[in-house]
Amino acid sequence: MGGSNTQALVTIIPWTFIAQILNLFIQMYLIKKFLFKPVNEILAKRRELADKEIKEAREAKEEADGLKVQYEEGLANARAEAAQIVQSAQKEAQIRADETVRQAQEQAAGIRRKAEADIAQEKKKAINEVKDEIGGLAMDIAGKVVEKEINEADHKKLIDEFIKNVGEAS
Amino acid sequence: MEFDISGARIFWRIPTGIPILGDFLLTETLVVSWIVMAIITGLCVFLTRNLKVEKISKRQAVAELLVESANNLVRNNTGGTKFDRLIPFVSALFATSVVSNLISLTGIFRSPTADLSTEAAWAVVVFIMITAEKIKAGGILGYMKGFTEPIAVMTPFNILSELATPVSMACRHFGNILSGVVINGLIYAALAVASSALFGLIPGAVGEFLSHIPFLSVGIPAILSFYFDWFSGVMQAFIFTMLTIMYIANAAEG
Repeated sequence: MGGSNTQALVTIIPWTFIAQILNLFIQMYLIKKFLFKPVNEILAKRRELADKEIKEAREAKEEADGLKVQYEEGLANARAEAAQIVQSAQKEAQIRADETVRQAQEQAAGIRRKAEADIAQEKKKAINEVKDEIGGLAMDIAGKVVEKEINEADHKKLIDEFIKNVGEAS
Repeated sequence: MEFDISGARIFWRIPTGIPILGDFLLTETLVVSWIVMAIITGLCVFLTRNLKVEKISKRQAVAELLVESANNLVRNNTGGTKFDRLIPFVSALFATSVVSNLISLTGIFRSPTADLSTEAAWAVVVFIMITAEKIKAGGILGYMKGFTEPIAVMTPFNILSELATPVSMACRHFGNILSGVVINGLIYAALAVASSALFGLIPGAVGEFLSHIPFLSVGIPAILSFYFDWFSGVMQAFIFTMLTIMYIANAAEG
């Protein structure tokens, strides 16, 4: 072996050297064209898509946040309003209750006063009646005294009776 | 038993008559290089068929992984996207080197990298790129002045060390691959001798017949081939590529 059919083991053949340089650059071009260009394009496209989606998501989030703030504000307003309504209702109810109680007291006081006046009047009337009766009785007694002779004992008895009558009537 | 390791086969010799360049030799190196290129390009075309943005196929995932790895390798080692234009070149260098180293595993082809012409070509291209990058960074005068640093006396050594870069790159790669070829050749030859001796012990025509078949060559070389072909092949490709990136990145820093 080692004849004209093979080259030396360690040697640089000029044409092979030049050809290999060209081969390297051709390979570079082929790899660039068939691997890097399409794959980089697809990667760029995917990145674009991802960016777009992130942007959209961010926008949606912002919108949702805005709505949330709006809703919370509305809710807070409604709550305050409700509280105010309840408060005013309570106040009104209190006023009305106070008024009712006052009126009732007034009425009661009126009734009582009237009753007292009635009682006083009745009493007065009764006393007057008693007085009239006493007068009548005295007249009767005087008549009786005139009719018959009155002894000591009768006299005493009459006075007692009279006093007793008066005491019962008063 | 004779053992001989020879260079690449010459298929065809085209006389050119040009003094220095000599005859054009259509060697095994060139033919296998073209096969390697066809394999790499075919693989690229196959991997990037039918690319989609979503719901990607496994094939596309592999293609994207390769591209991302190449991008990351160059970007991480040069610190930024300044050298993105180098990515296809570096990838071509690595792919060609790996496939060239591993193609000898087929048993049919001789690695184009087992020919110094190939590595010399690559190293010279890288050397020119390094030099161009240095001149671009510091201007032609700055580049010249760089050789006289730190003192003028160092100039010859600086020039020598500059020239040593491509030589060492080429020889490192070539030496590793060639050593694999040599060791594998030796192993096969030795195992053939050993099995011939072993089966020759069987008396009669049977032993005579069996001793011509190298039974021991089955299996054992595969283990060694794992280091010399697989590991060394991928490693040397990686080293060559890394050195290329490093040298160019350093050159640009001035």
